[in-house]
This record gives sequence, structure tokens and C-alpha cells, in this order.
Amino acid sequence: MTDDDKHQAAGITRRALLRNAGAAGAAAAVGVTDVLVTPASAEAPVEQTRTSADAVEAYEHFTSEEAELLEAIADHLIPSDDEGPGALEARAVRYIDRAIGGALADSIDAYRSGLAAFDRYCRSSRDGSFMELSHRDRTSALIDVETGAATGAGAGFVGSSAAFFAMVRSHVIQGTFSDPFYGGNMNFVGWDLIGYPGVRTAVTENDQRRLEADDLRPYRRSAYEWDEFNKANVSNVRRRGRHAD
Amino acid sequence: MLSRRCLNRALWLGFSLSVGYAVFPVAAQPTVRVIQLESVVMADGETIPRDYTPDGRNLSPPLTWSQLPEGTRELAVVCADFGAGNPPPWVHWIIYSIPGTASGLPEGLPITWDQQIPTEILGSIQGLNSWGRPYYRGPAPPAGTPHLYHFTVYAIDAVLGLESGLTREEFLEAVDGHVIGRGELVPVYERFASPE
Repeated sequence: MTDDDKHQAAGITRRALLRNAGAAGAAAAVGVTDVLVTPASAEAPVEQTRTSADAVEAYEHFTSEEAELLEAIADHLIPSDDEGPGALEARAVRYIDRAIGGALADSIDAYRSGLAAFDRYCRSSRDGSFMELSHRDRTSALIDVETGAATGAGAGFVGSSAAFFAMVRSHVIQGTFSDPFYGGNMNFVGWDLIGYPGVRTAVTENDQRRLEADDLRPYRRSAYEWDEFNKANVSNVRRRGRHAD
Repeated sequence: MLSRRCLNRALWLGFSLSVGYAVFPVAAQPTVRVIQLESVVMADGETIPRDYTPDGRNLSPPLTWSQLPEGTRELAVVCADFGAGNPPPWVHWIIYSIPGTASGLPEGLPITWDQQIPTEILGSIQGLNSWGRPYYRGPAPPAGTPHLYHFTVYAIDAVLGLESGLTREEFLEAVDGHVIGRGELVPVYERFASPE
């Protein structure tokens, strides 16, 4: 029995799983069918595609069309629900946008070609853009990309569609749960989601007790706001508005 | 003339088989009746419509069956490609613990844990396919190579209370000696090379 199946059998929500798994487990946990939000009807069209937070996000590397599609994918992978915000609110796509201008520069071509292929795949297989599909069809399309079944559908994936999915999934998780310094995890929503109490230089016995009692007030500070963790080049990098390596 | 090594091998093989037979006698198998398995969207030898493949919406296809043997308590359906997998088959779908009163499966069964199994087949469990997923995923063969997809229905003579998450192999082992009916529908699917 897979983990997914066990979760189904136990009726565990993805959010509960993420919280229990913690940051390390989260990276291994999120898959397409581990969606958190259930619309009134899985067949009903998603009424309105949400965009990043309330404001128009200015991206440095993605076009508006690429960003819209990537935001919709991220929103589907880690959606917000009545227990809290998800990848969209965490600005996971902003994280990716910044990262492909720096440490993840090698991925920029894979994003360009992969997003274009995914858009073609949705239109050819489900007769609409990803944003126009029902919740079920969005899930189904992403599963086919995740398993590699979309590779031979004539959409033009370079290599396996599974590789594109794995890259996006990995970066969405990074953008949701990594240190806010890198442009994602806005307002610490990722850390709140998994109950991470924040970077601490010391943990007292009392802290430990309160943590176990779910009563420890989280530190809402980036690791780079602690002198102890500061990298030598962080201040320079931050002045340039780029993330560190 | 047999060498000593060959002779020893032959003796050991015979010994092993006789011990195996003595320790694991073959269970008496019930008579397996033929069930009529059909679909309104496809037939034997015909191409599976794209809506039941990843080239379309990838819905599980609707199926109906008839001529169930008397004493059928549960049913199961497996979709497998015996031309793929290492070892074959590659399993696209398995659903079991279907009530014996059911006359088929509706189109588009759940693909996420929060979607409900239709009431007419309530209690049915989707086991794990070869992707390790508990739902239907349609054919996606390499371009230019038509594959056959065996949809097989099994009639079971007992309510076995099978656990969730079974693979095809685990399911077949669990129902050994309880299969009293079997039917098959074998459509085909082929993908074509992209003009790109």
C-alpha cells in the first residue's frame, strides 16, 4: 500500500499530513492527488482562477502567460483551504521566478518549453487551457504529466513530461516552505502550515514543552535576520534584490 | 549419456517437485463460468476512444456485464496490458469488492480520495495500478505500436472483506479458489508520432 493509499484509507487531509511530516517530510509528501481543497463539485469549472495574492505580481523572467499558468499549477498542488493559505499566498511562483534568474538558471529553458507543452497538452486533451478546466480535469491533466503519460500526446514535452512535473513540484514546495529570504513563504505561511516554530538559536526545556503542547509562539524571522546564520555575502546579495546561492 | 551433473540436477528437480506437490497440494478450483463484459464506448478489437486515454480526459470507461454465475457475491475488474510491464502485465486499473448486485461500472470513477464512489457500487475499492495509484489511468503506449488492453471482470463466490491498496497480483492471490466467473473485453489503442 502506498502512502497515498494509506492516507485515503485513514481519511487524512494533505494539510494534516504536511503538518505532521514537518518541513523535511513536506518535500516528499505533495503529489497531484494530494489536493487539499474540494470544490462543491469536482466536475464544476473552477469559477475564477486566483492570482498571486491580491496584487499583480511583477515577474522578472516569466511572461504574464507563463506566470498565470504556473500560479494555477502551484495553486492546485498546494491550494489554500479553510485551514490556511497555500502556495499562491506563499508566492511560490515569485520564488521560482527569482531562482531561475540565479541559482536555478539551468531550469529556465525547461520552464519555457515545459509550460508551453503543458498548455498545448491541456488544450489538445481537455479542450481548454488549464485555467478553464474543471477541478477534476486539472487533477487528471497533472496526473498524466506526473506519470509521463502526457509525453507521447504530441504536445512537445522535451524528454518526459514527468521530469517537468518533478521540477515544478520540487520548486513549488521550495517556494512554499523555504526561508522567506528567497522570495517565497511569504508571511511565513509555509512554516505556519507545517507548524514550524521558526529558526532558533537555542531551545530551552520550557520551549520544548510548549512546542509539544502546540503552544510555542513561532519566531517569524528569516534565518538571515540572525547574525549567527548570516552568510558573508547576504547583505550584498540582498542589496541587489537577488537571493543567495 | 547424461553427465553426473545433469543427473544430479534431474534428481533434484524431481525431488523438489514431489516435495512441492506434497507440501502445497493444488486447491480444488470451482468451475469458472463465462461472463459477458461489454461497454457502450468500445468493443473487442476496436480502438478505445481518446476520452478514456491520456490523449483525452482519461476517464475510466463505462462497463456492463451479464450472465453472472449463480452465487456471485462480489465482483472485480482489472485492466491490464500484457504487452508492457517488467514483468508483464502493466496494470492500468483494478477495482474490487464491487457488490455482487452491480450490473456494471459507471464512467469516470474517482481519481482523488475526496471523490465519492457512486452509490450503485458503494463499497468498491480501487486498488493500486502499476503506477502505484488507486485509480484508472488509460493506455499510453509508445507511438506506432498498437497495444491490447484486457478488461477482465471476475465473479467471486464470497464476501472476502479485502483490504484497500491491493495490487493485481495480491488480489489474484486473495481470491484464489473463489473465482466462479470471468469475462473479458479486449479493445486496442495506438498512439501516432507527433508531426512536430
